[in-house]
Amino acid sequence: MKFNLKALPLAISIALVPTAVFANETTDEKIEKLEQQVATLQAQQTKNLTEKFSFNGFISGAYISSNNSAGYNNATTSSDFSQDSKIGFQGTFNISNQTQAVLQLMMKGENNWDVEAEWAYLSHRFDNGIKIRGGKLRLPLFMYSDYLDVGHAQPFARPPAEVYDQVSFTSYTGGDISYDVEFEDSTLTFQGFGGESIIDNKTSDIELSNIAGLNANWTDLTWTVRGVYGYGNLGGFLLDNTGSPFLTIDDEKSTFLGFGGGYDNGAFLAIAEWTQVEVNGLLPDMESAYLTLGYRINTFTPYVTVAYSKSTDDNERAALPPQLGIPLSLGLNEKRNAYSVGLRWDALDNVALKFDVTYANDFGDTSGGLSGNSFNPSTGEFMLDDTLVYTVKFDAVF
Amino acid sequence: MKKLLSVLALSMGVAFTASAGVVVIGNPAAADMSLADAKKAFLGKGNSSLVVYELDEGNATRTEFHSAVTGKSDSQLKAFWSKQVFTGKGNPPATVSSAAAMKSAVASNPSAIGYIDEADLDASVKVILKP
Repeated sequence: MKFNLKALPLAISIALVPTAVFANETTDEKIEKLEQQVATLQAQQTKNLTEKFSFNGFISGAYISSNNSAGYNNATTSSDFSQDSKIGFQGTFNISNQTQAVLQLMMKGENNWDVEAEWAYLSHRFDNGIKIRGGKLRLPLFMYSDYLDVGHAQPFARPPAEVYDQVSFTSYTGGDISYDVEFEDSTLTFQGFGGESIIDNKTSDIELSNIAGLNANWTDLTWTVRGVYGYGNLGGFLLDNTGSPFLTIDDEKSTFLGFGGGYDNGAFLAIAEWTQVEVNGLLPDMESAYLTLGYRINTFTPYVTVAYSKSTDDNERAALPPQLGIPLSLGLNEKRNAYSVGLRWDALDNVALKFDVTYANDFGDTSGGLSGNSFNPSTGEFMLDDTLVYTVKFDAVF
Repeated sequence: MKKLLSVLALSMGVAFTASAGVVVIGNPAAADMSLADAKKAFLGKGNSSLVVYELDEGNATRTEFHSAVTGKSDSQLKAFWSKQVFTGKGNPPATVSSAAAMKSAVASNPSAIGYIDEADLDASVKVILKP
C-alpha cells in the first residue's frame, strides 16, 4: 500500500510526460502571448493617461536682412533675429472622447517675447459629426491661417506677405461650427464662424466686430480646393509714427473673399491663393495672389513663389479734394510684385532649415506698401523702387 | 536568351514583391479595407470609430507603409501631424514598438487596425489590405 502510494505520483508523472512535453511548447507560446497582452494592456493604460493630456510645441529662429530700409517683413540692412522668431506651447486636455480644451501660448520676438494666447478654446464633437468650438480661435481666412506660426508645417520660409499681410487680424474671440462630408476618397469640410477681434499695436487701434463667415474646403489629401467669404465691421483709428490717431475708421463694412488650391503628390507641390479685401470708406480695397511651386528631392525642397498685391480703389481717393486725396493716396495706395527663391531642408524629421531670397519691385507710384519707403516731396517720388530680403530660418516641432 | 533572361528577371521581381511587403492588418473578424479608406484612417480622417496603431518613428516598415499608403515621407508625415495637432484637428495614432506588439494590439480590439511586414503574419490577425 505504501509502495503503491509512492508509486502513484511517479506513475502519474510518467504518464504525463509526453503530454507535458507537448504542453510545454504551447505553454511557452501562451506565456509569450500573455506577456504580450499584459504589455499591451499596460501600454493602453498609460495611453489612457497620456490620451487625456498632450503637450506639444514649436519653435522658429530666423535671421532676416535686406539690401535697403524699405521694411519688407520689417527687414532692414542690419541683421534682425527677432522678426519671425517665435516659440509656442500647446496643451490639449481631453475632457471626454468628444470634448477637449486646447490652449496654445505664443511668444514672438517681434512682440518682445510677450506671452499671448493664440488658441484657447473648448471643442465638442457631436455624434452626428458636427463639431463646435468656442473661445479664442484663428480667423480662418487663409489656407495657412490655422498654422500661421507653425513654420514646420509650411513649405516656405514664411507665407507670402502680399496675401497674408492684407488682414492684420489673425485671431478672434467667438465660435465656429464645422461639418465633414466624407466621400469615398475625399473630404469636404464646411466651417461657419463668428465673433469679434481687436488689434492694438504701434500702427493701429482697430476693432473688427460682427465677424461672420463661411469657408468650404475639399481635399483628397493630394488636391485641395478652398473658398472663403467673411465680413465684419471695422472701427477705430490708424496711428501715425508718434502713436496719435491720424485716420478715424467709422464702423465701416468690410468683406473678405478668398480662393485657394493646392496640389501635393509627395514630390511636386503647388499652392496658390487669391484674395480680395473690400472696405467701405477711405481704407483701400486690396487684391492679392501668389503661386508657389516646389519639388522635393530627398530632404531638399527648392521652391519659387510669385506674388502681387494692389489697391483697387485708387480712383476713390484721387476723386477727393487734393489736400485730403494726395496724402491719403500716398499713404494708402499700394502696388507690389514679389519673387522668392528658396530652399527647405528637412535636416531631421522635426527640424527644417529654410533659406529664402525675396525680391520685390514694380511699386508704381506707391510705396509698395512698405513702411520704410518714404516719399520725397522734392522729387515727387518714393525713395525706393525695389528691395531684396534674405532669410535664414529654422522651424522645429516637438 | 535575352527574352528568357528578362522573363526570369521579371518573375524574380514579381516573386520578390510578393514575398515581402507591408500589409494592413485587422482583427480576424474585420472586413477588407480599400486603399482610400486606409489612407484616410492613417491620416486621422474618415471613420472615427477605428482605433489606429502605428509603428514607432524611425521604423523601416513604417516608412515603407507610408510611402505605399499615404504617400508621405517621414518628415512630411511629421509636418502633416504638426498641422493637425496645432490646429486641434487631431493627434497622431498611438504607436507600438514591434510587429509582435502590433499584432497583439490589433488582435485584442475588434476595431483596431495596424500594419506589419507580411513576413511577421500569423493567425491572430487578418490581412485587410495589401497596398
